[in-house]
Amino acid sequence: MLNTFLKGEAGTRLRFSGMILSAILVLLSVFTLSQKGLNFGLDFTGGYLTEFTTSQSVELKELKSFITKNHNGEFELTAQGNSHFQLREAPSDSVNSDRSDWQSAITQNADINAEVLSSAYIGSQVGDELFEQGCLALFSAMVAVMLYLAVRFEWRLAVGSVVALVHDLLLVLGLFSLLQIEFNLTVLASLLAIIGYSLNDSIIVGDRVRELLRVKSNNALSPASIINNAIKSTLTRTLITSGTTLATVASVWLLAGAPLQGFAIALFTGIVVGTFSSICIAATLPELLGLSAKNYEEKLDVKTQALMDMP
Amino acid sequence: MLSVKKDQKPFMAKFKLSYVAMLIVLVLLAISALPNLYPNKSWLHVSNAPHSETQAVPSTKALVTFLNNQGLEVEQGLDKQSTINIMLNEPTKSAQAQAAIKAQYPNTQVKIVEHATSPLWLQNFGLSPIKLGLDLNGGVLFVLDVDLDKAVDEQLVSAYQQAKSIIFKQKAHGLKAQQTEHGFEINALPNAVQKLNPVIDELQSRFANLAVTTTGNGNVKNAKFSYSEQGRSNFDKEVMSQTLTTLRSRIEELGITEAVTQRQGKQRIRIELPGVQDPTEAKRIIGATASLGFYQLKEVGGKTFNMQSGGTINLDPVPIFTGDHINNANIGRDDWGKPLVQLSLDGQGGDAMSAFSKANIGKPMATVYSEYSQNASGETVKKSEVINVANIAQHLSSRFSITNMKSQQAAADLALLLRAGSLTAPVTIVHEQTIGPSLGSENISNGLAALMLGMGITLAFMALWYRRLGLIANVALLLNLTSLVGLMSLLPGVVLTLPGIAGLVLTIGMAVDTNVIIFERIKEERRKGRTPYQAIQEGYKQAANTIFDANITTMITALILYGIGYGPVKGFAITLALGLITSVFTGVYVSKVLSQTLYLKLAKKAGVNAHA
Repeated sequence: MLNTFLKGEAGTRLRFSGMILSAILVLLSVFTLSQKGLNFGLDFTGGYLTEFTTSQSVELKELKSFITKNHNGEFELTAQGNSHFQLREAPSDSVNSDRSDWQSAITQNADINAEVLSSAYIGSQVGDELFEQGCLALFSAMVAVMLYLAVRFEWRLAVGSVVALVHDLLLVLGLFSLLQIEFNLTVLASLLAIIGYSLNDSIIVGDRVRELLRVKSNNALSPASIINNAIKSTLTRTLITSGTTLATVASVWLLAGAPLQGFAIALFTGIVVGTFSSICIAATLPELLGLSAKNYEEKLDVKTQALMDMP
Repeated sequence: MLSVKKDQKPFMAKFKLSYVAMLIVLVLLAISALPNLYPNKSWLHVSNAPHSETQAVPSTKALVTFLNNQGLEVEQGLDKQSTINIMLNEPTKSAQAQAAIKAQYPNTQVKIVEHATSPLWLQNFGLSPIKLGLDLNGGVLFVLDVDLDKAVDEQLVSAYQQAKSIIFKQKAHGLKAQQTEHGFEINALPNAVQKLNPVIDELQSRFANLAVTTTGNGNVKNAKFSYSEQGRSNFDKEVMSQTLTTLRSRIEELGITEAVTQRQGKQRIRIELPGVQDPTEAKRIIGATASLGFYQLKEVGGKTFNMQSGGTINLDPVPIFTGDHINNANIGRDDWGKPLVQLSLDGQGGDAMSAFSKANIGKPMATVYSEYSQNASGETVKKSEVINVANIAQHLSSRFSITNMKSQQAAADLALLLRAGSLTAPVTIVHEQTIGPSLGSENISNGLAALMLGMGITLAFMALWYRRLGLIANVALLLNLTSLVGLMSLLPGVVLTLPGIAGLVLTIGMAVDTNVIIFERIKEERRKGRTPYQAIQEGYKQAANTIFDANITTMITALILYGIGYGPVKGFAITLALGLITSVFTGVYVSKVLSQTLYLKLAKKAGVNAHA
């Protein structure tokens, strides 16, 4: 296969370089994930989260020292804006620990004059359950999608799509680990959406490869050039769809506020790497696995044909 | 793949029919989407508390003045016979006003009710705007954990005590009940073996889910009582449904109308209280496990109870009757102005009380107040206290009162709990969330802004890139959004959440995909030298496969997300799944019709060959 890489046309060279880049990025992601782990949000760890605004902008440091005076446990204060803060506490062991001290202190202090916008408590047991359910959802989505691909596609193309999918998820997780962005339930939901969208791109390229392979006159062409042709003819569509989707996700990122930030970042990254991987992995890997027009000639009995033409 | 020439006539007929069906669907969905232009408004309904006889509601004028003085400006106040309806200038302050009115006029019932503002003909169709989730509406969320193990333990202890009293009542000497690790057992001595079965029958008639295994050892017989797997699961089911019913009626008693109470998983209950701002009252009432029981005193034996006033007292472990038989409970005051709770019993409780008091005039009866609470190590324990021992002065019927309440608040809470029913299993709050109304409306406006921007970019791009075909795509996109909103308003149980809005925005971005795939195909077919009509036909046909494939995987993940997620995430899954359906509908079928008719007609009119 190295041969193809060296002799191949520009498109093939690009695809293979992209695949090497992907492999490096995946390794880096796995490395950061193993070193830093994920910064799990309240949904998964359990604990208390209070969001409040102050009537005028307050320095984070000042506010922190003020709350420390009125708080007898550990807490983590983050600024969401000039006068918008979030305070997170670990789930308390004793039921009767009084948590309202610092709240009344900041709401009654004339300089801070805070208004509590929302508060949440999640028991640590619930957090664990949500995490388990999340993993279960991810896992079952992957299995269901693989089953579908196995029925619908030739195995080489299916493997390509699945590897591309795992690649996309790993890169998004790697980014979240690297930047230590909070990983919460909505981010998990966006991972599932990424599964759907990543496959969408891979399937469209795969569909075209399959179609071109089945055209008799293409038999003379090498698989590499057929794949290049398939990519070329779907490239406009891929770029336009990814472009409009990215534009809408970016508007969520910009305008929808803090609660959807992580969600938007995950989807944005997912769509970018998904588009990339649909070309460099989903379409390239089958070539390495020995995809050729012959795979389709043998299979074209009446039954498969009917299945493939299923609307 | 070669195109097969179809007979033109049947095709046109089919085309016309599907055209009509499509139009009907679109119009129906558009009408369903209409109510969203008229958002609901919160009104306060003030009326007399249902169980109080006194006239507590002030005049409309007095009420409006009171609220205005509190800084809660009233926009409209309507007098509707026994109810006063009030709408505030700032509906987000309704919860605050509700609390203020309750404090000022204690015997009134104040409810926050959503009023539709859409035209009557829409309301007559039963159409309403999309329901908003807590993160958009503001409100309180509780997830309760029902301690089923504890409930089973309690039930076994109660069965054990009843077994002892049945043995005593049937004068079955030679039978002895004793507690074991997983339940209890009755041992029968040789001379009492034949007395065992009647006792078992009586016990099983009282505790249907209790399983019994009898073993004979020589001429001694032994009966073990415990819960079988089946019995346990029946019991769990009963406890969960009883808990749900009780919680629903408690929430109703609190005057919260739009609450959602549902089972979540095996032993959780999810309660969403939209519009509620202060969780403390709801928390106190929802989590309360207080129950009442009335007991006979026992000089010898019996069970030892603590007295509220200090000291201990021995009572018969089997109550004369319990709070379950209380029909109605109201607060009142005794002659010394101390709070009391007036009770009225149902038929069964009334009979028990009547029979007991007739036979025991002059003898004392104890009222026991039980509550689950957590001890220092976090375990749930039942705490029972005798709040009152009174001599039965006369033959009592179904109406009497309990005195010696700690405070007015305690009396009011107890009355409410007795009306709504008690919980057989202790509950703990494992997830609690309060979202302020201002945060909710901020989330809505942020979400809508994102939707507008995303939509604007997409529309502009499609119009510029594909020109005439792009206009068709844009019409399809707008129809898609309308259909999606219509579908979401129409289907029951669909809730719009903030991630749901994100799903909506995402759907808009992805929906053009269908059109792009088709248009690229049409361009390709044109390059191959087909006529515009043929190219359009071929483009739609060729693309159908790909579109189906591409959407089905997203559909699979959306369905899994819907099946597993809760709350906001479920909202995202719903919009995603419904969005896929509507985008395939508008993107493939509607825009096919549009491009076939409009595009070709326009092209013919212009007298030039259509080019995409």
